[in-house]
Amino acid sequence: MKFGNLVIAGIVTGSIYAMFAVCVAVWYRVSNILNLAVGDFAMVGALSVDNLYRVKGLPLPVAIITTLVVVAAFAYLYDQVVLRLAQDGKRPIEGIVVTFFFTFALSFFIDGVAKMLFGSDVHAAPALWNGASLTLGSLNFVRAGILVLACAVIIGGAFWLYIRFTLGGKALEASGENSVGARIVGIDTRQYRRLIFIATAVIAAVFGIVESPITGYTYLSGATISLTGFIAAAYGGFRKPGRALLAGLFIGVLEALLGGYVSAQYGDTVMYAILAALILAWPRGLGFESAVSG
Amino acid sequence: MNAVTGDGAESPEGGPPGNVALAVDGLSVAYGNVVAVHDATFTVTEGDACAITGPNGNGKSSILMGVTGMVRRHGEVTIFGAPAKNGDVRWAARHGLTLVPERRQLYPDLSAADNIILGCYTWTKSIGKARRSDSYGRAVDLFPELKPHLKQAAGTLSGGQQQMVAIARGLAANPKILAVDEPCLGLAEVIAKRVYDVLAQIHAAGTTLIVVEEAPRRALTLCNRRVEVRNGMAANSSPGSAA
Repeated sequence: MKFGNLVIAGIVTGSIYAMFAVCVAVWYRVSNILNLAVGDFAMVGALSVDNLYRVKGLPLPVAIITTLVVVAAFAYLYDQVVLRLAQDGKRPIEGIVVTFFFTFALSFFIDGVAKMLFGSDVHAAPALWNGASLTLGSLNFVRAGILVLACAVIIGGAFWLYIRFTLGGKALEASGENSVGARIVGIDTRQYRRLIFIATAVIAAVFGIVESPITGYTYLSGATISLTGFIAAAYGGFRKPGRALLAGLFIGVLEALLGGYVSAQYGDTVMYAILAALILAWPRGLGFESAVSG
Repeated sequence: MNAVTGDGAESPEGGPPGNVALAVDGLSVAYGNVVAVHDATFTVTEGDACAITGPNGNGKSSILMGVTGMVRRHGEVTIFGAPAKNGDVRWAARHGLTLVPERRQLYPDLSAADNIILGCYTWTKSIGKARRSDSYGRAVDLFPELKPHLKQAAGTLSGGQQQMVAIARGLAANPKILAVDEPCLGLAEVIAKRVYDVLAQIHAAGTTLIVVEEAPRRALTLCNRRVEVRNGMAANSSPGSAA
């Protein structure tokens, strides 16, 4: 049952794209910055756990917790130093520089540090749930894939509950919708910029750790994941997290099917051609006009 | 451009010396090089309904923006005796001054109820406390006509309904002073009258009101005080009579 297994694999990668796309979209609504470093945090998560566990010999839970704490602390510092200077000063920088440049630079920075610390070979965090794939009829479920999906459902569900049922979640939505209106009721948009950025970094690291046993990462793997999450977020004009989520899943499945049926080598090329064609055929429906007009 | 002086007359006519709710001294607001308000000085007594009137583009809204901390300012603002922190909306709201801004500034994709309850964010982060609070209940009860629309996205409401949501959001913050900026802009006369009826109710319940209006006639049906703004300068006028 090749088709079924491809779809399952696609949903697993798609759920990662979807989570990253949601993170990118939610953060953009709050901060007007596109997070182009989200995949790099995933890469750092995977390679750092591998390094601490395999090379430094730390117990696995310690390696994971250390990694997540370091990632969170780094994200906090980055917000406090770079983003605060860029956006919160007396003369905030606006426009394209802030939207792209700082996180783009961050992505390169993280890659460089990762190369220095972890080398340039393919590595992966150790599998958290060992054993052969589970089967259901002719369908195969890789255990790491099940964990990825579980993380996506748990983290996504927690986020949904936060938005839906807490005043803080509604305040987050409000600051995405109308920053002036948000300030009137005392919502500190900067606080959400910091919170979402740190959460995104940690979530990305978690997915990197859980998923890396399937694909393996090098210090350059982050950029590709960021790009796909970024494109998924673009469906919906970076402003509709729900659409970003669907687009992420769709891209994951499309990628798996093209890789399986068309060509493992040129699958990505065909996929980007299809994505581009969809945008051209249907710009308004997919939210690209709002992406352009902001 | 707005060459200005401030006329700092104190509460006129030597009226009864109520508590000073809001004191503004030498307030200036500038956007880049453009000075919108220069050296405005006035006071609002507790229980007043104060109209800030004057032609459009003369800095009326900027006075409110500066006083509430939405934009940075020069000069002193005192709310119930406490010197207000510059540029800190939350501080002002927590000390009793809440803004209902021009063009309402709602959150269009959130429901009307969510828009209103976010007013409570100034004093709590617990949605349970907010829902059970008197200020939220009062804000919702004041507008029976909104009841059937509370679950509707605010962006799909009519202009009048949106204005009511904005006022209700302001009330949910439990203000002692409610500053309302151009509440009737773009509204039909019937709706504008309803908005003013509600403002009168709010005032009667003991909330001090500041209303920015281009048209003084309507404002002065409600207000007992008037601050006239010309070319960014504010001057106190005598109660009501100055129409």
